[in-house]
Amino acid sequence: MKSQISTLVFFVATMGFAQFGAPSGISRVPHQNGLVEAPEFYILEWKFGTQLKEKATDLTIIVDSLGNQKVNALAGPDDHEVLYTSDISTPVCADGECKLMHIRFYWTILGQYAGFDRYPNLPLTKNDHDEFQYMDYLKLHQLLMDDNSILKRRKMEELVKKPKQPKMEGVDAVAGATIKEIKESVVSGALYSCYTAWHIVHGSIKEEILQRTSASIDADVILNMLNSRHADYQLFALKRLDEKQYEENYARIADIFKSGIPLVRTFIIKNLPDSFWNSEKLQGFFWNSFSEIDINSRSLLLNNINRASPKVSQGLSLQLQSMTKNQLKIYLKHLEDSNRMSSSIKENLLAFANSRSETIAYLVSDFLEDYQ
Amino acid sequence: MKSLLVGLCLGLFSCSIFSQDILIEAESFDNPGGWVIDPQFVEQMGSPYLMAHGMGEPAKNATTIVNFPKTGDYHIWVRTMNWVPGQWEAPGRFQLKVGDSTIETVLGQRSGWGWEYVGSTKIEMTEEQVELIDLTGFNGRCDAIYFSTRMEEPPTSQKKLVEWRTKLAQEPNAPEKGEDYDLVVVGGGIAGCAAAIAAAEQGLKVALIHDRPLLGGNASSEIRVHTLGIYGHFERILKKLDTEHYPNGSAESKLDQEKRDNNVKSYTNIDLHLNYRAYDAVAKNNIVQYVDARHTGTGERKRFTAPYFVDSTGDGWIGFWTGAEFSYGRESVDTYGEDWEEWGELWSPKEADNAVMGSSVLWGSKLTEMKQIFPDVPWAMPVAKAYEEVNGEWQWEFSRNDLNQIDDAEEIRDHMLRAIYGSFSNAKKHPDNNNRKLEWVSYLVGKRESRRLVGDHIFTFNDAKTGNKFPDAVVIETREVDVHYQTVLEDENNPDFISEALFYKTPEYYIPYRSLYSKNVDNLFMAGRNFSTSHIGLGGPRVMRTTGQMGAAVGLAASLCKKYDVNPREIYTGYLDEYLKVIKEQKYIEIPDSKQ
Repeated sequence: MKSQISTLVFFVATMGFAQFGAPSGISRVPHQNGLVEAPEFYILEWKFGTQLKEKATDLTIIVDSLGNQKVNALAGPDDHEVLYTSDISTPVCADGECKLMHIRFYWTILGQYAGFDRYPNLPLTKNDHDEFQYMDYLKLHQLLMDDNSILKRRKMEELVKKPKQPKMEGVDAVAGATIKEIKESVVSGALYSCYTAWHIVHGSIKEEILQRTSASIDADVILNMLNSRHADYQLFALKRLDEKQYEENYARIADIFKSGIPLVRTFIIKNLPDSFWNSEKLQGFFWNSFSEIDINSRSLLLNNINRASPKVSQGLSLQLQSMTKNQLKIYLKHLEDSNRMSSSIKENLLAFANSRSETIAYLVSDFLEDYQ
Repeated sequence: MKSLLVGLCLGLFSCSIFSQDILIEAESFDNPGGWVIDPQFVEQMGSPYLMAHGMGEPAKNATTIVNFPKTGDYHIWVRTMNWVPGQWEAPGRFQLKVGDSTIETVLGQRSGWGWEYVGSTKIEMTEEQVELIDLTGFNGRCDAIYFSTRMEEPPTSQKKLVEWRTKLAQEPNAPEKGEDYDLVVVGGGIAGCAAAIAAAEQGLKVALIHDRPLLGGNASSEIRVHTLGIYGHFERILKKLDTEHYPNGSAESKLDQEKRDNNVKSYTNIDLHLNYRAYDAVAKNNIVQYVDARHTGTGERKRFTAPYFVDSTGDGWIGFWTGAEFSYGRESVDTYGEDWEEWGELWSPKEADNAVMGSSVLWGSKLTEMKQIFPDVPWAMPVAKAYEEVNGEWQWEFSRNDLNQIDDAEEIRDHMLRAIYGSFSNAKKHPDNNNRKLEWVSYLVGKRESRRLVGDHIFTFNDAKTGNKFPDAVVIETREVDVHYQTVLEDENNPDFISEALFYKTPEYYIPYRSLYSKNVDNLFMAGRNFSTSHIGLGGPRVMRTTGQMGAAVGLAASLCKKYDVNPREIYTGYLDEYLKVIKEQKYIEIPDSKQ
């Protein structure tokens, strides 16, 4: 998932480099036997004081000509794995010249990219031997966060192929979106390094880590994931909760619904157990977020309008400005079908219908005309 | 135009001695000037309309001559819509000129389609010129102009409006013109064209009905999506129709357009009914009897009868009207076992929903020698936000779960127009783009997915994944299964009009003939994106060489249906070997015995 990319770019652009260490100097030494501070480039939250110890696993990554490189787990005091890591040295070859790239990668316990640390005195370099600058590392981090990068489906030789000349004059000589997308996503002058790094991070190791985690998952880990801010963890946990656990964790689930990404909201609202819809209190937490959530999630909530309490029908009459045209139609039809048109709802509808700033006020006017 | 109005006026005159009423359908103007005819949303808003698609420069006036039954004072209404109502001036404003007088009222300001009162005017001559004057260049729209000596606004609700229009035009229920064919193909995209050619080559008399002046649908130079996929058994036919692999939106599509139009026209037994949009079809006892279509400009209607029909409308309209079973949206992951764990809910959801892949509107700009001004577009900014771009590719795509790709297609198109104009306006703020000018913006929605008609077999992800070689495999594909989602699902800060594709690499896979005819409408074939498939199944074969293969396959099947006087299903149950032989034999043009 790429949910953090734009936030990160914005963050760096506005806050400068302070949060990430010196822009051009050498990074701190990656810890040999564990981790006591967040990796330099990192996507998960890191609690101050966290200490992770390294545990050997049987996982490896095969690197061209250098054989297997070990992948270790990093575990917390309760011995639960928190991250996976590997110190990678791999040849990067361009135009017949090969150099070694040294980097330490981190994966989440679901096998997704979590971050990297660079090595002191072993900076990454570009084709022309220039060293990576801080912004280059940051761009590499962004690229690695993109698990659906254009690099995924392309062979290296395809990426360096020159585009065809167009047949008609005046047509830009570009091979469509592809070249543009590649240029935007990789570090300038370091296509080979980026390509190699991406394919190591997103190679078969992802699936192997996921399988390892799935085989040993327990309730505590699932609960930790539910409480994480990381959307993939949230979804993984939500999929594994039974009805009782949904009810026990309703406050956290309602909180994720309000603050999470639309994809997670969508999952929650489509999979809420019936017990939520039968309880005015439990469903209330979700309806209360109506005006703050995205349009798609609002539509999914409205799919359940006929299971909503009268209080919800009433409350929504004050939130008509948050509805799209079709959502408003669903709500009005609900009022008609459910016979819940109270005097106060009607008053709210009238106020909306008479508002000059509401562009779909006419729908409510028409409705009120027919309703009378 | 003139004759239509005279007839109309006489008709009305005979039924009302108290008033004079004249309805002018804007799409039938004598000269549309710089306005374009937009027939895409007839089923939703009632009619083709004229739109001032000037890309920021006011479109040249549209003009027509109106014959009034008598001179005198007339009230005037215009049926229009403000396509972006809000706290700004309406983007598509225009005025009406009657004779030499421009009427002051600024039009295009009401929310939702309906009538705006223009004012009253004195008609001093029975023959007057009426003009539409575009004030903005930003997609003002006019469906119809109504002159009446009475101060009585025409109805707005869709149902009443249809009745009112029919009464006014004194149209009989059935079109007066009827034409009989061996095969009627509705929809002239790549699939429809291929179906028409394949059937015509086997000697069938074919009608090809298409609602645009140019053939090719999404591949046409009006939409400009390049064709992807392989040729399968139909290289010879599909090479007459497909495109080069230029960037989507490229002007190079014009070269392929000429090739395609000429190739289809070269068949004497294909009657090409361009600019006719089907508006109804009727089945009796599960047999399609006829399709009715109306000219998008003149309004002339025709009834097409045949023993067999091909629905290549994309939206499955013929199937829909005749009661064919269809699906829309995403099946639950368990319905057909279409899981891909890596992408989970983005790929196939635990619970079914109405999400589909979105529609694209392609566009481009060019650098010129001179400074180019682009007007402020405050009404576009709530959609574009800070996004900036100078052209659009396939990722410019929009779907949202409260919007249906058929019923809400106008809103979807308009959302994309706001995205385009707003993003271009943002890009224009950079000095590098001072000389940049919008060159082309499509006003046609390039749809990926809508209704899918249900056949005897529903093609799914598993058919692609396993490369299931059906006995009736007639379409072959190697392209990955590629399913799109809106990136806003992952991050609310992303623009809601940009999508991302998920690609699943498959082995060579096959589509069976049983996915190309309706399960419950006995004489209906389908080809194109509305073939029988699941949402994920559509991910691979929705591209246009593949849909072209479907078209060619049903065209050949239709020829055997005619030969044995049987329905499409019976080709599978009784004549499959011969059908597969016909497919094989048509690959190359036969060399006459005398030259062998």
